[in-house]
Amino acid sequence: MGIDDVGMSDAELVRQVLAGDAAAYAGLVTRYRGRLGRYAVHMLGNREDAEEVLQDTFVRAYRSLGRCDEPSRFGAWIYGILVNRCRTAGARAARRRRMFVHDEQALDGPTGSNQVERADLDELVRWALRRLPLDHREAFLLKYVEDLEYEEMALLLGVGVSALKMRVKRARDQLRIILQEAERV
Amino acid sequence: MFDHEDELFDRVVEHLKRPVHVDPTLDGRVMAEIGDGSARQPGPAAAAWHWLVTPRRFSLSPLAGMTAAAAIAAFLVLRGPATPTGRPTTFQFVFVAPQASSVSLVGDFNDWDPTRSPMTAARQAGLWSAVLPLDPGRYRYAFLVDGVHWQPDPTAPRAGDDEFGVPSSVVTVGGT
Amino acid sequence: MSGRAFGLAAFLALAVPQAAVAQDPRLGRLDAETRTAVTALLDSARAGGLPTEPLLDRALEGAAKGAAKEQIVAATRRLAGHLARARDALGTKASPAELEAGAAALRAGVDSTMLSALRRSRPRQSLTVPLAVLADLVTSGVPADTAARAVLALAPFVGDDALIEFRRDVDRDIALGAPPAGAAMVRGGSILDAFSQGDRPSNPPPGPRRP
Repeated sequence: MGIDDVGMSDAELVRQVLAGDAAAYAGLVTRYRGRLGRYAVHMLGNREDAEEVLQDTFVRAYRSLGRCDEPSRFGAWIYGILVNRCRTAGARAARRRRMFVHDEQALDGPTGSNQVERADLDELVRWALRRLPLDHREAFLLKYVEDLEYEEMALLLGVGVSALKMRVKRARDQLRIILQEAERV
Repeated sequence: MFDHEDELFDRVVEHLKRPVHVDPTLDGRVMAEIGDGSARQPGPAAAAWHWLVTPRRFSLSPLAGMTAAAAIAAFLVLRGPATPTGRPTTFQFVFVAPQASSVSLVGDFNDWDPTRSPMTAARQAGLWSAVLPLDPGRYRYAFLVDGVHWQPDPTAPRAGDDEFGVPSSVVTVGGT
Repeated sequence: MSGRAFGLAAFLALAVPQAAVAQDPRLGRLDAETRTAVTALLDSARAGGLPTEPLLDRALEGAAKGAAKEQIVAATRRLAGHLARARDALGTKASPAELEAGAAALRAGVDSTMLSALRRSRPRQSLTVPLAVLADLVTSGVPADTAARAVLALAPFVGDDALIEFRRDVDRDIALGAPPAGAAMVRGGSILDAFSQGDRPSNPPPGPRRP
């Protein structure tokens, strides 16, 4: 790559890219691939969709880099793009009835079709997340896994802090119920 | 932050925070797509021209015909290519009032002076129009028919705060 | 200069700012009592660093529509309050047009925290149109929370023309019977979909030259 990005800040890399050095963008991709990928995988539930969304996010961010008003906050800015892409992909998947369960009854307890086998923690976690409504899953991941402040989340999601706190609380409560059900199986 | 007694929940969060493996070839795919350059976007002028020439559909208000003076209002926007920042945009206002003998366009853009923007009756009976240059911003306005009857534009957003007992409409002009 | 002439000159010098306001010919369209009250409001606004043109426009609208003095003064005072709150939310560098649009959004019922969030999402570009669109959406019946969410999601990525087009589309959908909240979310979502798939909305906000 020819770039030693260890000492380069996001702002410096962004400025280099905007000055015409497209290769500098690779430094930002490498830097954020893991963290953005973690959110996408947990949000979408499978690696294939997540990597597709991730690639699209990075390309969209490159094309609109001129609109990143604060290069030092590139991470938060590209996060916003990722969250929206995940929403689109998530909604599309829901329409295909492939992954997501919005049926409230599914939260009442394991039925024959929803019953989860005793499996490793990874499978359990993925199964539990899939049972959360999209907006609750989103809020839970941003708060508990990505450690964002509520004010940052409010900006990303366009929702008030109070509403976000409620979503996070509900997600936490629902997850506890889901996990307890799984433990009893 | 969360219930420390809930060990399973804690384990789940801890598990979620672990790094997730992402295909390292993703970097190359992203850079390849960027370097492709095949997705050059049209510039702002081309996009605005497309907007200009795209036929626009006007919905006519069911209020049409309620008064003798003002039947239907239609709001036409004719504008040149998008302006960068701050330059006026030309707007044409159109009002249909077959029974009216005079119609004025009155609003923030002319200090609510009914004499400043009298509308011109077009050849087609009942069609009144006025053209104004408007700087970027948000403007309240209404039509004054025969110097007496105030009419909002039913196909434009309402001003919302009808504090004087007579409704107004708003037009928003972009500048970026 | 004689003492008397000096005193007169000093008086005239002090009186000029007030005279300049009082002589605005547009204020002549108000009756005397209304003019006095509105002038006081304008002076107060000016002293507080608020734009006076929107206040004068509001008073003139009332006069044109034949409203009573009490209505005109109350409406002007109410607008002044909203302008002040908009300035608190948007910052002291907000332009008069931004403050006016922000005041409209507040008047419509948008929370001031949403104005601040919008400012953060577009720190260097004008917020006049996003705020105006926000106010219009809420006035059309879109719940304030939903409208703010939609505009906050769109504003960083699309330009003013696209936002205005978005508002028109939502209005059209509502006129055709769609629930306001649903119309806003569907239209906003489709714009973001198009954006993320590479379709470029007209007139994105200006910024540093694209790579």
